[in-house]
Amino acid sequence: MPIIVLDPTAESVIPAAGLAPPLTSLSGKTIGLLDNGKVNVAPFLDHVEAILRMEHGVAAVLRRRKPNMSAPAPAELLAELTACDAVVSAVGD
Amino acid sequence: MLSSPPLRSRRLEAADELEANELYQRNGWTDGLPIVPPTEARVRACLEAAGMTPDAVLGTEPVRQRLLTAEKVAVNAVMAGCLPDYFPVVAAAVQAMCEEPFLLHGATASTGGSAPVVIVNGPVRRAIGMNATDNALANGARANATIGRAVRLVLVNLLGCVPGGLDRSTLGHPGKFTFCIAEDEEGSPWVPLAEERGIPRGASAVTVMACAPPRQVMNEWTTDPREILETFAAEMRANMLGYSIWSGNYVLVIPKQLRDLIAAAGWQKQEIRDYVYRAARVRRADWQRVGKGRVAGGEDVEFAALGSPDDLLVVAAGGPAGGFGMVIPPWFGSKSRAVTRAIGLCLEC
Repeated sequence: MPIIVLDPTAESVIPAAGLAPPLTSLSGKTIGLLDNGKVNVAPFLDHVEAILRMEHGVAAVLRRRKPNMSAPAPAELLAELTACDAVVSAVGD
Repeated sequence: MLSSPPLRSRRLEAADELEANELYQRNGWTDGLPIVPPTEARVRACLEAAGMTPDAVLGTEPVRQRLLTAEKVAVNAVMAGCLPDYFPVVAAAVQAMCEEPFLLHGATASTGGSAPVVIVNGPVRRAIGMNATDNALANGARANATIGRAVRLVLVNLLGCVPGGLDRSTLGHPGKFTFCIAEDEEGSPWVPLAEERGIPRGASAVTVMACAPPRQVMNEWTTDPREILETFAAEMRANMLGYSIWSGNYVLVIPKQLRDLIAAAGWQKQEIRDYVYRAARVRRADWQRVGKGRVAGGEDVEFAALGSPDDLLVVAAGGPAGGFGMVIPPWFGSKSRAVTRAIGLCLEC
């Protein structure tokens, strides 16, 4: 005799935000670099910043660091980053 | 009787209970062990035992805004093998883990691989047959085993804490299968943990803490409470050097043999906390001798295992014989804090 059982997973997940349209060029743009707060992320983002500036001609780079690597970035910090044309969120471990 | 709201979970058909188990295994909806198929009747029995409607929200995972409804938590509790009367404990544990100080996302996703240990106090322990004595931290009692497992299945199925997915534990530890203990209130002269943390006497409560693997100690060669507690403190220092130096909540589980000796000297939990707070300290220079010299730095800088004496959670549990004890360290310093919550709190009140 067949039995009916229930799905244990979260079915009503809030739909993920759609992807923003990709930038056609990085030239003249402002790029945010979000550091998750771990020790090794700073040298990694230094390298990313150098590439962005030297090879892609970005106008400005906004570097920010999460105060707590294990918690979401505070709202004020995210609000600052929304001024950027694009943001790289980096995890160092 | 009021009409019961419908359950909203998707229905799946299986040929029988064994085939239902295989279906859940194939879908990655388990911890690897067999499950009890969650039928509507079984899930409803859990909800009724807790007096909850299916759509009651037990909490919200803060990073991805995942709602944890009573229905979905009950589905996972049934799968874990919980009887309906266990469900209020599971629900309270989930609610506690959703409180901000627990830092649910970090504690369940981290490479550090923590497990939520659930510590139960109050009359519910005996009402549902929890074990607080022999083998207190391990197998044997269905309630302990399945309540802890239900919490894990909630994390897997509702929050996506699948190993290699959102759960990035490098190693994890066995407590991630299940880790639920009860305090031996009847066998202890001390104030129960939950009461110390603000729950009225006579109420039942859970305390949850994101923990690293437990570390066992032994001292059968003294009757002096200072010497007994020095052994616990030494293990905490070892944890600080070998694992993580940062201060946070630690649990000390003290079984009856050592408990009786400490109590005979007139020491309550407060004296234990005060002693261990002073004793469980290392200097940064101590990192030199455990291979961490590169970051040892300022030799005289002192680090305490506990930010304050109240960071120590003292739990009376364990079998009557043996001079053992257990140190349960925090996942990662004070990033995640232990949370205590009463069981059976009315959500609509």
